Amino acid sequence: MKILVCMKQVPQKDAPLKLNETGTWIREDVSYEVNEPDAYALEEALRQKEKHGGEVVVITAGPARSQQVLREGLAKGADSAIHLEDPGFVGLDAFNTAKAFAAAIKEENFDLIFTGLQSDDYGYAQTGVVLAEIMGWPHATIIMQIDKQDGGIKVKRELEAGFFQHVDMPLPAVLTIQSGINKLRYATLIGIKQAKNKPLRKVTMDEVRSSLGDNMQKIEKLYIPQKTKKTEMLTGSPAEIAKQLVEKLKNEVRVL
Amino acid sequence: MIHFRRPLPQIERPQMEADVVIVGGGPSGMACALRLSQLIDDHNAKHPESQLTKENIYVLEKSRETAQHLLSGALLDPRSMRELLPGFEKEAPIDAEVVKEAVYFLTAKRKFKLPITPPPLRDHGNYVISINKFVKWMGEKVEAAGITVFNGFAGSELLIEGNRVIGVRTDDKGIDKEGNQKSNFEPGYDLKAKCVILAEGSRGSLTKQLVARFNLDKDRNPQTYGVGVKELWEVPNGRIAKGQVIYTMGYPLTTQEYGGAWIYGSKDNIVSLGYVTGLDYHDPRVDPQKILQQFKKHPFIAHLLEGGKMIRYGAKSLPYGGWFAVPPVAGDGWMILGDSAGFLNSQRLKGIHLAIKSGMLAAETAFEATTKSDFSKQQLSTYQTRVDNSWIKEELWPVRNFHQGFEHGMLEGMFHAGVQQVTGGRGLFERYESVPGHERLQTLNTLSPSGDDRAHMLGAAKGDGKLTFDKLTDVYHSGTKHEEDQPSHLVVHDTNICATRCTVEFGNPCQNFCPASVYEMEEAADVPGGKQLRINASNCVHCKTCDIMDPYQIITWVPPEGGGGPNYDGM
Repeated sequence: MKILVCMKQVPQKDAPLKLNETGTWIREDVSYEVNEPDAYALEEALRQKEKHGGEVVVITAGPARSQQVLREGLAKGADSAIHLEDPGFVGLDAFNTAKAFAAAIKEENFDLIFTGLQSDDYGYAQTGVVLAEIMGWPHATIIMQIDKQDGGIKVKRELEAGFFQHVDMPLPAVLTIQSGINKLRYATLIGIKQAKNKPLRKVTMDEVRSSLGDNMQKIEKLYIPQKTKKTEMLTGSPAEIAKQLVEKLKNEVRVL
Repeated sequence: MIHFRRPLPQIERPQMEADVVIVGGGPSGMACALRLSQLIDDHNAKHPESQLTKENIYVLEKSRETAQHLLSGALLDPRSMRELLPGFEKEAPIDAEVVKEAVYFLTAKRKFKLPITPPPLRDHGNYVISINKFVKWMGEKVEAAGITVFNGFAGSELLIEGNRVIGVRTDDKGIDKEGNQKSNFEPGYDLKAKCVILAEGSRGSLTKQLVARFNLDKDRNPQTYGVGVKELWEVPNGRIAKGQVIYTMGYPLTTQEYGGAWIYGSKDNIVSLGYVTGLDYHDPRVDPQKILQQFKKHPFIAHLLEGGKMIRYGAKSLPYGGWFAVPPVAGDGWMILGDSAGFLNSQRLKGIHLAIKSGMLAAETAFEATTKSDFSKQQLSTYQTRVDNSWIKEELWPVRNFHQGFEHGMLEGMFHAGVQQVTGGRGLFERYESVPGHERLQTLNTLSPSGDDRAHMLGAAKGDGKLTFDKLTDVYHSGTKHEEDQPSHLVVHDTNICATRCTVEFGNPCQNFCPASVYEMEEAADVPGGKQLRINASNCVHCKTCDIMDPYQIITWVPPEGGGGPNYDGM
């Protein structure tokens, strides 16, 4: 199987964030890391390859710094990488990112495309699904398990409240992978060293521009929320407090 | 039962051959890699017939991203950088050029400005930098030069054969709390190297192994240390000028402790402030994190910070034993750089420029050794000669007795510093002796329960959440993070001592000197004394204070699983 894994570089979870000057996104001077859900997608792809043979390709879109996520993917065992390299890719919405990916891989024949469930920064959870739509492929989200079958795959999806759904799907298909379904491997010294000599194809903005449209979604303004939390102490006997509480839950908060 | 980290015995390990392995991607290690690359490039341009490769030169760095474990003030004396990369100012991340400086002596409520800034603390021409941002930039240059930086890999053991260092073993990954292999276990590599360069920073764990193995501290003064506890603040406009430098002495320390504070104005209203406490204090109840909190309550500092916001926290030890505490820096297959060697000018409170210079000199030595295919002690000892003939010694020799002069308090220290000033650094004795700082700790029964004039320094900081913070809040701001399911990397060789002798004699000072709340004595019903040691290893910020200051010397800091540790972005 030939599997493409879409990976994103996101600010580290504990990075102190600052707004940029236009107030539309954060300032760039933070540390970045691999979007954690994508790490699980990569791990799943590598395991499928180990089981069934084939090839794993990692792809990302972003400025030069984002090459780091591809290096990490290659170091862990991906065979090659595709980098849509331009700072302009950062500002694309999910629809345009998916279009850019589709344009960049139109010459390749993948059996499967994996993405993480969502990104830690925007959290759209859309890019994978939109990509399937653009490719004209079926997709399934929140995947817990993938088993190869004759002529297709059987996947297990996580639903709410402890329910799962088992689906037979044809290939090719797009799957968005649930986090935590496998145990991430470590990159090894030899893996990191070999990654330097693995093929990395760069795609410029110009090569895919004709496939892109206007962003349908954009961030107008980003601001740090003002703390408005107010604590109110209820006093009285336990019975009185309970009564007041029920009153408030009914009439003020309206959850009862 | 706490399980402690050690390399798994009797497992098969992957091997890799290397020419040069630099352990530690700080300023000295990165400068070493860069200089080595320059020399190889020059050589290759001149000798097309005998090309040298950079393919097998590696930097091992335990942090997940380059420079994330680096903490300093920091002021950079640009001397060595100008030698390494002339014109570096044009592209390096420099936050400000020092425009004015002042030294204050603080009492509990007042401040006295020294009429003149003592020459060693004059910083015109130096730069305010974030060591994190600066070395990140150096690291990019190293990678661009074709040298591989292995981020997330620590050196856990030296490979030694006879009298020769033949390589480094990297950390085992994927071991659980009990020491068992997890499903994603990856054994550490045996990285066989012609030359191992130790650039681990202050109190390096491999350097410690090396010093012990070959008695490198023989005929040397013991290394002495301080711990710098730092907070990065964003303050309202106009509080401090960009490039303004303030040093303080005195409060909250008494004349019996060594230390002082720095405050540097950076760009964008960012202020770097921190307090260095000498790790040779008497009172085991002293808490360096509390001292920083107490310092901020001084009206002078409180006003500076009012309405501001603390954005990062961290701590790091620094060696200030001086020239007489520097071990031999080269031997069969190895060299030691920067803070690991103790190249720090305690009078000027600066070491980055010396670390960089030592890295360059080691690179020149390694290059020469490569062209001669000779990594013997005799060949590598030319590094020692290079250091002795360079401005490293020129700068450190006149201050060789500086810190020792203060070991009996500030007043005597001032006197000795004065005498040394007029005798070219000699002072009253050719070589001032020194004792390891932990030996100065006094037992509780010799100290007043209230602490007397030290009372304000004792007891855990409570913190108001605005100006001052309790330790856990501060630790949260260090961004430190470790794989939780792994053995403790704080190796306590005899945990019985903690609950018995130490509780009685010193009151478990690990709880006080650790700036990250790693050590805790918790109630336990079934043990004698009713208390036992708990190690919150995930809180560790890799400052090494415990390894240095523990009175029984039973704590050994070893690197945790690679990638774990603080995130000193912007520090």
